[in-house]
This record gives sequence, C-alpha cells and structure tokens, in this order.
Amino acid sequence: MEQLYHVEGLVNRDFVGQITYTICLERPYRSMDIAFTFDQQRFSREDLSEELIADVQRQCLEKYGLTYSREETERVILGDMKTEIHTLLTLNDTFIGCIHRQLTERHMHYDGEEATEGCIPTPVFEGVLKVTVLVFNVIKDRTRYTLSVSGEPCEREGETAC
Amino acid sequence: MLKRFELHNHTTHSDASLTCLDLIEHMEKDRVDVFALTDHNTISGHRVVRELLSSRPSGIQCIYGMEYTTYYGHILCLNLEKYVPWDSIDRFHPEKLFEACKEAGALTGIAHPFSYGAPFARGCRFEMTVHDFSHVDFIEVFNNLEPLHEVNGRGLDWWEQLVLEGKHLAHTCGMDLHGRWDMHMHFATYIDCTEEETPAESLARAIRTMQTYVSKGLLLHAEKKGETWHFSLENVHKSGFVSADRYLMTLRGRDVTKSYEISEEKALDLPEDLFPAGPVLIPKLYLSTPDGEAHLEQLICISPPIYR
Repeated sequence: MEQLYHVEGLVNRDFVGQITYTICLERPYRSMDIAFTFDQQRFSREDLSEELIADVQRQCLEKYGLTYSREETERVILGDMKTEIHTLLTLNDTFIGCIHRQLTERHMHYDGEEATEGCIPTPVFEGVLKVTVLVFNVIKDRTRYTLSVSGEPCEREGETAC
Repeated sequence: MLKRFELHNHTTHSDASLTCLDLIEHMEKDRVDVFALTDHNTISGHRVVRELLSSRPSGIQCIYGMEYTTYYGHILCLNLEKYVPWDSIDRFHPEKLFEACKEAGALTGIAHPFSYGAPFARGCRFEMTVHDFSHVDFIEVFNNLEPLHEVNGRGLDWWEQLVLEGKHLAHTCGMDLHGRWDMHMHFATYIDCTEEETPAESLARAIRTMQTYVSKGLLLHAEKKGETWHFSLENVHKSGFVSADRYLMTLRGRDVTKSYEISEEKALDLPEDLFPAGPVLIPKLYLSTPDGEAHLEQLICISPPIYR
C-alpha cells in the first residue's frame, strides 16, 4: 500500500467536536486502510491531584446528587473517565463507516467485499475521501493523535482496472 | 396480533460482543418477534443482518436503525434505511437532526435520557434543549439495565409529564444489548400488528398513534364501551414472567393518580366519573403490595395513554 496522507495533532482537554481531513484521490484504489491512534486515554495514579478530585466530586454532586468519598472519586477517575475519540469515513459525501470501539489504535480497512466491522465494504475508492475525527471527550491537555491513510491503487503491473 | 419488539441492540459493528448472527440467535432463543439493529453511529450491520435473515426459518424480523451517539445524548433512530449525517448536531437546536431523520422516513426517539453522562461517560445523558417536541417520536422510558430510580424512574416520569402536558410522544423500552444478556423479567415493547403490515409499518403506526405497550409480560388494555371504560389484562407469556393473583392499576392524570384493583380473571369496568380529571390519563399496572401503594419495583406494564 502507498501512503496517501499522514498527520499528527494535539487536542486540548475538554475539546468536543470534529476535525475533518479531506483527501482528494488522484486515481482509483482497490483497497484502503485508515489507521488512527491516540494517547493518554486514561488517568493514572500520578494524575490524581487535589484539583482533579475536587472537580470530579463537584460534577458528581451538581449533576447527579452523588456525594463521593475521596476513595470513590479516585475509582471514578481511574476506572470510568476516559478520552473518547471515534473515526468516521465518507467517500464522495456518502457514509462508508464509523468505528465506535474504544481502541487507542485502530484500522478501518477496506478490501473489495471485505471491510472492518463498522465499515461498509467499498470495492473502489475514487473521488474525495473524508476522514472525520469525532472527539467526544479529552481528559488531558496535549493528547496526541495520528492519522494515516494508505491505499492500494487499482492499476498495477498487468492490471487495467479494479 | 401482539408482537414483542426488542428495540435497542448492538453488535460487533459498534461496541458489543455479539456478532450479527449471535444477536439473531439470542433473540430467537428468547422468542422475540422483531428486534432492532441499533449500532452506535453505523449502519454497516444492516446488510449482514439482511443476508442472514433471508435464509432464517424462524421468521424473526428486523427493524433497521442506528443509535446516534452524540456528545449531548443518544438518539434512537428506527426504520432508518440510509445514513443521515449528525456532525452538525446543535445542542440547543437538535430538532434539525430529528427532522433530517424524519425526512429520511425514520422514527427518532430519545434513548435513556437520564443515564449518567460526564464525568462518567460523556454523551450518555440527554443534555439537548428540545424546543419543539413534535420533532420527536418517542422516548425510551426503560433502558432495562440502568438504575431503576435514578435513571429509568426519571425517564418514565419525564415522558408522563410531557404526555400529560399534551405532547404527542410514544413510549418504548430496550435492553441496550451489548452481550448475551438475560432478558428474563425485563421490559419489552409490545405492538398490535396486522398481517398486512411489515414490522416497520406496524412500528411506525404504533409510534405515531402512541399505541405502544412497555411490559414485563402482562398487558393492560383499556377500551371504551359506551359510557364506561373496560380494563382487562392479557398475558403475553414473556420469558421469566410469573402471574400473580392481584394487581394494582393506576390512572395518572395531570394532578392526581387513582388506583384500582384488577386481576387476570376479573376485568374492570369504570365509568369516566371515577377517573382523575383531565383530558389525558396514563394507565399503568403494578403487582399488588400489602401497603396498597404503587412501587416502581413492582411495575409490570405502561399502557398507551387514554385520551378522553
């Protein structure tokens, strides 16, 4: 496969929204792989500051009426809270897949009649590909992500079309 | 013919542990008539389920849908034949997404409105501001495994208040199935279907006319006969349901709720002047308890609202 695009970025804590990358395909592709990674998915014990604990205790009380002890709050921070980022793909503005699974490394792979679960098999990639990074929750500043788009062109030696 | 619908289910196409085949088999095993496929933000399982069902002798049928999993709440979309983008979701004007789904021929409803969201799980609580509920078709009043009082009780009460205010909203429930979870003694949605209709058509009609039942196995029917209302119970033999001798029927009006005893053997005829005041009443059925009160733990059925 040849790499068509690679980008790395940082998102800040509490960002909510989308970042969309548009790739104009210069020829048809028979298979496509979109690889996405991000880091800092969970808090670790070293992150348990007084400020963070107080903030989570305040949210639990204000939103849900839950009064949590320090131990319970630490359990929420370490066990429940996470950075959540999904990836969505369109081809010529038609939906062809979204990965909801909470994976810090994922691939959206398309090859003929086969595709990663969550994705719709797409025999030929031709036109405009958009990869949207759906950012649901970011728990830490400077959360790094990478996105790589690779494709296998239709025309190789001895081939004339997909 | 009454059919059991399970309207909220996921597969490995989003974040569940069930493949499409696993889901079908799980539904068949529990004698479900119609199940919905509502993966998070994808419709990639539709084609797979269609192919699997085409060679299935059981006759089980599928409602194709998706759970719009947004930053500000989850929206169940049923009878969704094509993907409708949601990336312009506006927390303070969600009607645009509801309307776009409706234009695509789908039914839209608010899933588990009072689930815990951030800091536990952002997006799980419905935090959008709906200005016009005519764009919403239904509310999932029971998401079976959620906390009874903190989540489901509040969801039910919210739907009841909206209906009593005059909003036109059906009520549904679901397992929010992500694995081979036991469905015994949980609520399911029941719909009276005709032979001429497809399940999708029956669902659309029932939702739009607010004729859904949410029940653990016994349906409370209300029928007007002359100047009186006839209330009766029907056992739909849902898995895990065990009949009792006596039940408590409540009719909730805007200002007051009245209670009446009823049993499977003995129907109840009530003149309207024994009803609570108001143009809309919500009938519910509970297991009887010694204190004679209606407890959420004993709730058996939420029936279609009565309009007078």
